[in-house]
Amino acid sequence: MTALQRTPLFDRHVRLGAKLADFGGWEMPIEYSGTVGEHAAIRDAVGIFDVSHMGKVRITGPGALDFVNGIVANDVHRIADGQAQYSMVCTEDGGIIDDLIVYRFGPEDIFIVPNASNAAAVVAVFRAAVPPPIHIADQHHERGIIAVQGPRSADVLEALGLPTDHDYMAMVEAPWRDYRVLVCRTGYTGERGFELIAPAASLGELWDALMVEVTAAGGTPAGLGARDTLRTEMGYPLHGQDISTSTTPVAAGLGWAVGWDKPAFHGRDALLAVKAAGPDRRLRGVKVVGRGIPRPHMPVHRAGAQVGETTSGTFSPTLRQGIALAYLPVDIAVGDSVQVDVRGTLVDAEVVTPPFVPSHVR
Amino acid sequence: MTPGELRYTSSHEWIRDETDGTVTFGITEYAQHALGDIVFVALPSVGSTLSAGDSCGEIESTKSVSEIYAPVSGEIVAVNGELETRPERVNAEPYGGGWFARMHMSDAGQWGQLLSAADYEALTASA
Repeated sequence: MTALQRTPLFDRHVRLGAKLADFGGWEMPIEYSGTVGEHAAIRDAVGIFDVSHMGKVRITGPGALDFVNGIVANDVHRIADGQAQYSMVCTEDGGIIDDLIVYRFGPEDIFIVPNASNAAAVVAVFRAAVPPPIHIADQHHERGIIAVQGPRSADVLEALGLPTDHDYMAMVEAPWRDYRVLVCRTGYTGERGFELIAPAASLGELWDALMVEVTAAGGTPAGLGARDTLRTEMGYPLHGQDISTSTTPVAAGLGWAVGWDKPAFHGRDALLAVKAAGPDRRLRGVKVVGRGIPRPHMPVHRAGAQVGETTSGTFSPTLRQGIALAYLPVDIAVGDSVQVDVRGTLVDAEVVTPPFVPSHVR
Repeated sequence: MTPGELRYTSSHEWIRDETDGTVTFGITEYAQHALGDIVFVALPSVGSTLSAGDSCGEIESTKSVSEIYAPVSGEIVAVNGELETRPERVNAEPYGGGWFARMHMSDAGQWGQLLSAADYEALTASA
């Protein structure tokens, strides 16, 4: 067993009394004061997460943008310089190796943030295809990421003198003390928010300054427990649970993040075939109407027969109800009644289209 | 933090003698803290007959599910139905408003076999 990796903020999490756990090989805070309270703080005010475990890959050089665009599923030409885009890297079979955010600085400068546990696999895909003039730098440990999320997130950033006026999915690099901080209007919570990508050496100082303002705004540090309940309420898929190399963007409802008209990207032929034939199952929202909390890998029944399985499931602190994501046959429609087998008890639920609660990202 | 008048089990239930042949039970402060935010409680049915150690319900936090075990043998005579809508009371008042159920003991001698507060504190201190 290899030792868990730690972010530059590890000692601060310990001092704040966080419960820590292994997340993708990293020892990360799961909660500080409690998941439900942290979740509510982000829906109502503001919270900050250390998400420095996420990967960071910089791809530079002549033709960097087109090189990246020939691999990732979404079309980087749909966005302009200074904007970010949700995308995926797929296998040639159309399975999802990872979902990630592509930051377009310019035609020769692309930054990518993959999931922690897939970062090495994503880097390997790019390295295997890279032509000589393009350089791939794995900056996993050189930079940290702090997510500032919630309706009061702009107040917190303004107090630090950081820019907040840019559009959703846009980014601005700004000076902060002796450092350069990338301020991105991105997140994984469904609230208005920012992700700050900063040099590892600056991260402790930046966290401390943010904590002062977050506390003043009635907010809290938040752990990956709240991050999971927040993203599940939005129906955002989590790689390794809801999407994987054995699921396609078509079945996952992520066709909007595929550049179908691009001449080439990894998995293109397979995905076009799946799209033309239609998927046999779709990732749907399942909202419990009875009593019980679905968890991942629980059978979903209709009319006495199992029709699928949950991939994510949790208690929604906003709805105070159980919610889940599940792959269901395409003949099961939104509004249909299903039952989730919660450890032997069939709990009534309704098929819905996420988000389970309204999005406020813009 | 561990009330001296109560008795305990190694599975982190507390038990109060109501001095009428019944006992009330719930989970301890230690247990609620370890579980984190409690979001769902499934209670036993009134009238069900249980043996000590039987699983008789579930308690679910944001991240995990735990079983509730009958601390003594006997019959469930009352349950705290408020927990169905306010499970967070188990976090806020584990020894008060967060109680689970009351049982009529099949044999009053069982009380003496439960852990004292000192025994329970020793158990959790070494955990």
